[in-house]
Amino acid sequence: MDTTDESIASAPLPTSKTLRARKSLIAQLVRFMAINLKMLKIIRKEHR
Amino acid sequence: MARVVVLGGGIAGHTAALHLKRMLKRSDEVVVVTPNSKWNWIPSNIWVGVGRMKTEQVTFKLGPIYKRMGIDYRQALATTIHPEGDASGTSPYVEITYTDPAKDGEIGTVEYDFLINATGPKLNFGATTGLGPDGFTRSVCTAGHAVQAAEALKSSIEKMKRGEHQVIVVGVGHGTCTCEGAAFEYAFNVEHEVRAAGVRDMADIVYLTNEYELGDFGVGGLTFTQQGFQTTSKLWTESLFRERGIRAITGAHVEKVEEGVVFYEQVDGTRGSLEFDFAMLLPPFRGVDLKAYDAAGADISEELFAANGFMKVDADYTAKPFDEWRAEDWPSTYQVPRYPNIFAVGIAFAPPHQISEPRKSPGGTVIAPSPPRTGMPSGIMGKLAATNIAQMIKSGSTASMHTASMADMGAACVASAGSGLRQGSAASMTMYPVVPDPAKYPGTGRSLDDTFGEIGLAGHWIKLLLHYMFIYKAKARPGWWLIPE
Repeated sequence: MDTTDESIASAPLPTSKTLRARKSLIAQLVRFMAINLKMLKIIRKEHR
Repeated sequence: MARVVVLGGGIAGHTAALHLKRMLKRSDEVVVVTPNSKWNWIPSNIWVGVGRMKTEQVTFKLGPIYKRMGIDYRQALATTIHPEGDASGTSPYVEITYTDPAKDGEIGTVEYDFLINATGPKLNFGATTGLGPDGFTRSVCTAGHAVQAAEALKSSIEKMKRGEHQVIVVGVGHGTCTCEGAAFEYAFNVEHEVRAAGVRDMADIVYLTNEYELGDFGVGGLTFTQQGFQTTSKLWTESLFRERGIRAITGAHVEKVEEGVVFYEQVDGTRGSLEFDFAMLLPPFRGVDLKAYDAAGADISEELFAANGFMKVDADYTAKPFDEWRAEDWPSTYQVPRYPNIFAVGIAFAPPHQISEPRKSPGGTVIAPSPPRTGMPSGIMGKLAATNIAQMIKSGSTASMHTASMADMGAACVASAGSGLRQGSAASMTMYPVVPDPAKYPGTGRSLDDTFGEIGLAGHWIKLLLHYMFIYKAKARPGWWLIPE
């Protein structure tokens, strides 16, 4: 079971562009709306 | 006139009580029995646990809300259920012991026509020697525990500032724990705080979990589509661990904790120990100490409750191997088969089995994450029980009409990875259904259209929005019922 840290060490690292996008106010505002829509879709399934 | 008694004032019980009061006639009674005086938005305890929020921001007093809503509130602990009454009468009732300071220790009874058991979990710190605030580790399960965790973390950060290296262990304290998502959140929030304090190089942060692999979250992991490829929550989570420099020990059952040392066994039988300066390990859950008796006074607790203390409902509890598990095993109305006027919702119902594949070490130690059933599923079950009871009262029938199986229910989860309006981060996830249904969704068991994961600042905003929205709803402010569970 000592393989988890090895697995972490070989996991893909986000690029600097991805890291910037994760903090960009404009990009994240768009994602905020998109994620909310995805969550609303799940919620709507519960309230059919 | 009908009387509905709700045991528990957490997410499931409080949701059920508010909806019942809205759905029933004024002459019908809704009684809430809960030993707590305050409601707690538990998902935000993570932020209390790192000192970003105060207790008052995640809790409020239940008494004034229930008074305004016309709900009969008994601050008391339910101890026994008498579903058939007793020798002196056939009316079903619950025996309670008051925890209200004005009546502390007094014993009373509350008769009911319908009963909702939403008592949540008993935090079973005793399952692991040395675990918990009375032992050597911290917890964020209650707001009070989270305050203690924040103080201990602050002290650890002060030591780092003075040049002392610190080992921080965050995770779960038993092989059968649930809520790995909360442990994951706390690990990343701690990392965020240590980094913000400018002492990241002085901390070794280790995530210690019973999950067989990272990204399992007690639901067997997720598969979703990203940029034209199917990817897994394992790869996605490992990437986050690498980016933030957090180590992980997986498939672990904590055997005991001593001052500054945690001892564990892994699925492959490996035994290890880890010295720590600060540790937050969540406890396993079991059902609260409720007993049940029939009309003759015979103890029927074994019929009503599973061995772990959770209440048995309309699920298939036949023991079967992992590859024979079916979506249909999961309950859909949460009614107790022998007593259809009793429901158990939220954490209080006994799941038929795990969602993640259970494993055993060569020595026979069970290392199997229990199914998460907090948050959104809890609220949905609470509303479902309220809706069915309201219909049963109005129609006079005991047949439920609405169903909400976790094998036909989705969940939206936001796991905080750090607080701050500009610097915050969170992993936003949706899954549908919570319990995989390979017959309906061959391959992954879940809909690839409705299962996704994403990391970013937007997730933090959503978690913050949910915090304010659900506290507004729980306070039964105008239009509260328009906010979905």
